[in-house]
Amino acid sequence: MTEREVIKMVLEGRKPSYVPWSFGFTKEAKAKLRSHFSPVELEDALHDHLLKLGSDIGFFTELGNNRVQDVFGVVWDRSIDKDIGNVEGCVLPEPTLKHYSFPDPLDRRFFDDITGRIARYGNRFRVFQIGFSLYERAWTLRGMQNLLMDFYDYPEFVHELLNTIADYNIAQVQEALKYDIDAVYFGDDWGQQRGLQMGPKLWRDFIYPVLGRMYAAVHKGGKYVFIHSCGDVDELFDDLIGIGLDCFNPFQPEVMDVAALIQRYHGRLVFHGGLSTQKTLPNGSVEDVRAETRRLLALGREGGYIFAPAHDVEGDVPLENMLAFVELLQSQPGYRNKE
Amino acid sequence: MSILNDLRKSVIDGDMVLTQELMQKALLESLPPEQILKEGLINGMAEVGRMFECGEYFVPEMLIAARAMKSGLTLLRPHLIKANIQALGKVVIGTVQGDLHDLGKNLVGMMLEGAGFEVVDLGVDISPQKYVEAVKEHRPDFVACSALLTTTMPRMKDVVLLLGEAGLRDQVKVMIGGAPVTEKYAADIGADLYTPDAASAASRAQELVNKQR
Repeated sequence: MTEREVIKMVLEGRKPSYVPWSFGFTKEAKAKLRSHFSPVELEDALHDHLLKLGSDIGFFTELGNNRVQDVFGVVWDRSIDKDIGNVEGCVLPEPTLKHYSFPDPLDRRFFDDITGRIARYGNRFRVFQIGFSLYERAWTLRGMQNLLMDFYDYPEFVHELLNTIADYNIAQVQEALKYDIDAVYFGDDWGQQRGLQMGPKLWRDFIYPVLGRMYAAVHKGGKYVFIHSCGDVDELFDDLIGIGLDCFNPFQPEVMDVAALIQRYHGRLVFHGGLSTQKTLPNGSVEDVRAETRRLLALGREGGYIFAPAHDVEGDVPLENMLAFVELLQSQPGYRNKE
Repeated sequence: MSILNDLRKSVIDGDMVLTQELMQKALLESLPPEQILKEGLINGMAEVGRMFECGEYFVPEMLIAARAMKSGLTLLRPHLIKANIQALGKVVIGTVQGDLHDLGKNLVGMMLEGAGFEVVDLGVDISPQKYVEAVKEHRPDFVACSALLTTTMPRMKDVVLLLGEAGLRDQVKVMIGGAPVTEKYAADIGADLYTPDAASAASRAQELVNKQR
């Protein structure tokens, strides 16, 4: 059975022969792993079950001085956060789209590598990624504080902005559906450590209907919908299932009860993530990491679960802690790499 | 007094225009500035904090309430100075070195201001040395440190240590917060106060100051 088939089994609510996985690492963490696994390429050493296609954070133009600009015109300061960066300035200083043009959703850079990567890693489950897929795209353009106040000050503008972002994403989904992909993996953080940033009412009024449009476009093509959304957002799961969500990530154990949720949503929603990146990975011992990984594998034995650290692993995590979960995953009975 | 009740309500509703109108009205009626501050603005923000803590309000409601409060405070400030009304205390606030996230820090600053504190906002990516310099310059009652990342959280410990080395540790209370920060971490590094959100940061700081008086 291929990795692709195992993930499909999990998504269909069936019991897999082992718990599948797909990890994420920041540049600093990747560098540690790369030197450990060298000369084997990291992508080959880790045997991720998800083949990530397109680009989760998009493409950037170097501006110098640790600054890059994304295709939407947003400038990111990467002097500290080397992976994504922090938004600098404001592309939409006023609550209007009159003077702004969206980029071309069919920019070939998002699609050019799909065929080649599927040829190389065809056994894996293929996900086309669309990061910053709604609320996050809106605040990176408008500024987070501005956008949060716009919900009250300029609601029509917020509706227009979110729907225009969705139109851009739907055009990308339709293009991606021309390839032999399995799912679209959206990313959009709505949560805080406790509760939603904008609260459930504004989320349902503004974000939910637009998500429904995007998810429908994916389902119309017969593919699965994944979402990555950081923070304490489990109150939204029933709503998200209602518009066709199939898999939720990052499943942070610091903000939600992972054991109870796997059981409660078995057969209705798959979880991807679960290993503590705020506590265990940076601060725990190798044995702590092993113990938490074993607990998660036991929870996922009946299905409904894809293992991962609950965020891209940061550079403060010791190599031994990363290897601890990688080794446990790869040594599961029932798993045999065929690549 | 109904005008102050209305003022309080306008802050809770985040209605900046109404807050300004009612503030002007209260000042025209020569109500004591300290009473306007406490019953109108501070009481309003305390209710906003309570609603945030119990999950009725979220960040947008807090932001527009703080904006309304601030616009009222701008009109009131000259009258507070004239009447020699002192702030409840002074807080130097910043996001720690290596961290550029500012929303959590801004919310804490707004809530502290709404609780009657004078807030000196140092900004983001603030080195321990800069906190120490700011403590020397501003003589605050509190130093407030924010961090969103596990990678930057350890800088909070450096702030506590450097304040000690500079002989300033007894003069200020150190409060910390941010997504990965916990009560235990605060105890481990010798910080005085951890709070999980902006609303409780303001109310706990208020309690500490009142206890000392």
